[in-house]
Amino acid sequence: MNAAALEIIIGEGTCGIAAGAVEVTEAFKAEAPTAKIRAVSCAGMCHQEVLVEVNSPKGYYKYGKVTKKEVPQILGFLLKGESQLAEEFVLVAPEVPATEANGYMTQQTRIALRNVGLLDPTSLEEYEARDGYKALRKILGLTPQEVINEVKDSGIRGRGGAGFPSHMKWSFAAAQQNDTKYLICNGDEGDPGAFMDRSLLEGDPHNVIEGMLIAAYAIGATHGYAYIRAEYPLAVKNFGLAIKSATAKGYLGNNILGSSFNFEIKIKEGAGAFVCGEETALMASIEGERGMPRRRPPFPAVKGLFGKPTIINNVETLSNLPWILNNGGKAFAAYGTEDSKGTKVFALAGAIKRGGLVEVPMGTKVGDVIYGIGGGSASGRKIKGAQLGGPSGGCIPASLFDTPIEYAALQKTGAIVGSGGMIVFDDKTCMVDLAKFFLQFTQLESCGKCTFCRIGTLRMKELLTLISEGKAKLEDLDLLEELCVKIVDNSLCALGGTAPNPVLTTLRYFKEEYIAHIVDHRCPAGKCKALITHKVIQSDCTGCSLCEKACPTDAITGEPKVAHSYQIDMAKCINCSMCVEVCKPNCILVE
Amino acid sequence: MTTSSLEANVEPELVKQWITELGGGPSSTVPLLQAIQGKYGYLPRKAMDLIVEHTEITGRQIYGVATFYAQFRLRPVGRYMIKVCHGTACHVQGADRLNTALRHSLNIHDEAQDTAENGSYTLENVACVGCCSQAPLMVIGKEVIGNINGAGAQKALRKHARGVQEVLPKAEKQSVNS
Repeated sequence: MNAAALEIIIGEGTCGIAAGAVEVTEAFKAEAPTAKIRAVSCAGMCHQEVLVEVNSPKGYYKYGKVTKKEVPQILGFLLKGESQLAEEFVLVAPEVPATEANGYMTQQTRIALRNVGLLDPTSLEEYEARDGYKALRKILGLTPQEVINEVKDSGIRGRGGAGFPSHMKWSFAAAQQNDTKYLICNGDEGDPGAFMDRSLLEGDPHNVIEGMLIAAYAIGATHGYAYIRAEYPLAVKNFGLAIKSATAKGYLGNNILGSSFNFEIKIKEGAGAFVCGEETALMASIEGERGMPRRRPPFPAVKGLFGKPTIINNVETLSNLPWILNNGGKAFAAYGTEDSKGTKVFALAGAIKRGGLVEVPMGTKVGDVIYGIGGGSASGRKIKGAQLGGPSGGCIPASLFDTPIEYAALQKTGAIVGSGGMIVFDDKTCMVDLAKFFLQFTQLESCGKCTFCRIGTLRMKELLTLISEGKAKLEDLDLLEELCVKIVDNSLCALGGTAPNPVLTTLRYFKEEYIAHIVDHRCPAGKCKALITHKVIQSDCTGCSLCEKACPTDAITGEPKVAHSYQIDMAKCINCSMCVEVCKPNCILVE
Repeated sequence: MTTSSLEANVEPELVKQWITELGGGPSSTVPLLQAIQGKYGYLPRKAMDLIVEHTEITGRQIYGVATFYAQFRLRPVGRYMIKVCHGTACHVQGADRLNTALRHSLNIHDEAQDTAENGSYTLENVACVGCCSQAPLMVIGKEVIGNINGAGAQKALRKHARGVQEVLPKAEKQSVNS
């Protein structure tokens, strides 16, 4: 069979590239130069990268975890009838029933992510072929109020973290009489552990642009900014290309599609500040100032960017709008619960078997996402809990995994829906260390305006460091809690207002770990360096010498290829655990 | 070679060209700084002075912005950048071990330093690259390398160094096979 009959589709999002997608593409080009090779964006099945799909005369095949080594066999099977790859690589094939890994996609309801991974993000035509810019044509025949009503029917609340009803925010700006209004797309995904905005901007930029057009039309904005993190170079590139092609086709610019609606979009690359998730800080940043929040009112919808009425919507919120306009607000509201409508994208990562982007109806139980879609623990170790909502969110124990993903229900646990970060951890993760990690982050990111946020987070970080080193007293836990309350009460913006959440929730659900550090000078997870030691269980040692090669301080000595010969010099060991990572027989004990 | 010899030679004409392209109003502060850092890898004092001299942006404003955002750095960089991701997923999966390993390979033992003595590489921590399912990961130059441990990070660094013909600082430790 001729290779020209093959269409090979390779996932080349940032995560695919990290897993080696470029090498795989080159291997296909070299081995099958006549095949049609397409690069699409990340489908959100990050655990299966590099993901390769093939449309062939034999049918549709989807392969996971492909490296350049597998390329000859894939082609050999499809073109010459040679043997198929091992089962673990074949996710979808006409001759085999749907695999378990494929359930990762079938258990999802994709609205915001509906095109991601299916189309070439640099092709306007491919977006148009999937109902692209149909919603734009539709709204041009509606009044702005009718658009707002449709979005009101959908019940969608801002997906960036705060969860404010989108239509309500729009109504405030729509009511303003002003010659200039701004619409800002917030793609400054600062939450470490969330990547849905990256994926949407990279993988379906026209959908975000169409969402911006809908929001701009509803509030009467003529100028738009897409504020995108500089750490997302591919998103900046793809979004820039999309603006160009949409402008050339008349979807952006003056008199859009022959109407009187004018709208243009400029990209602003964010320079890295978590506090810019706060609307007023983000606007200060675009104006060229330090990204420091200011007091509200006046609200941005009344007096925002450059003093003009401004609406800021998150990337994911905007990505839902074209679907809502095409299918009706009620269709969106049919998903979810009374309190929380529609679907939400989560970035599932950590100690999980199948990580990636997951879009599910609101109201789905946390456990269904982690065990059902995510497949549970990657290592087989017991899952201890999950961190929801990033530095502003909280850690919940596995015993609360029955909680439905809803704004109110999650808030009761101390966690939040937030932007949708969901990091799963097993018993190798120390909760004191995790709380310290988040406080380090918020302390660095505090803009310094409010005293309690600026100094309080530093004091909390110091206390957590003392605890992690076994140098704290039990009374310090009371002081820690007192600081939490005062920082929440005395901070202007949500950064300070939510910064203590990781500490409050770990104290609430994992207090025994704090006590183990303070009273027993022990880190149960074997993570806090000051409280652990490394020891070779010599009876299990095979003499492979990998630990010796990995050790940065020459603390490990022994005779290569001689079993039971290796030992660690405690005086030289810095407890970095690099030896543990490489030890094949798993014979290094950390306690 | 010491890191002070990595100071960039700022070309005034280039800075003026950026001002023409990006504008000289206050809202151009961040884009101008991004252009400078894109070229030199950091913000040389002289380039910032030129901005203040030729635009309406004040010294207070430009220095305030340069020190506020995580992206900007005021110290010179090595010829190649290594960014180690410290997002939540990477932290939980052992990102600190990548730092330990790379610092050893680059022979950077002073906590306050982040550039190898021979000016080859600068090691930087970043908040999140957004590839959480490939955690832990690092970025060398423009290449994102995921799912690695400390030993893997050292191997990737050696491979990169061979590709660009950089000499890694001589590590103190003897190789096992030598």
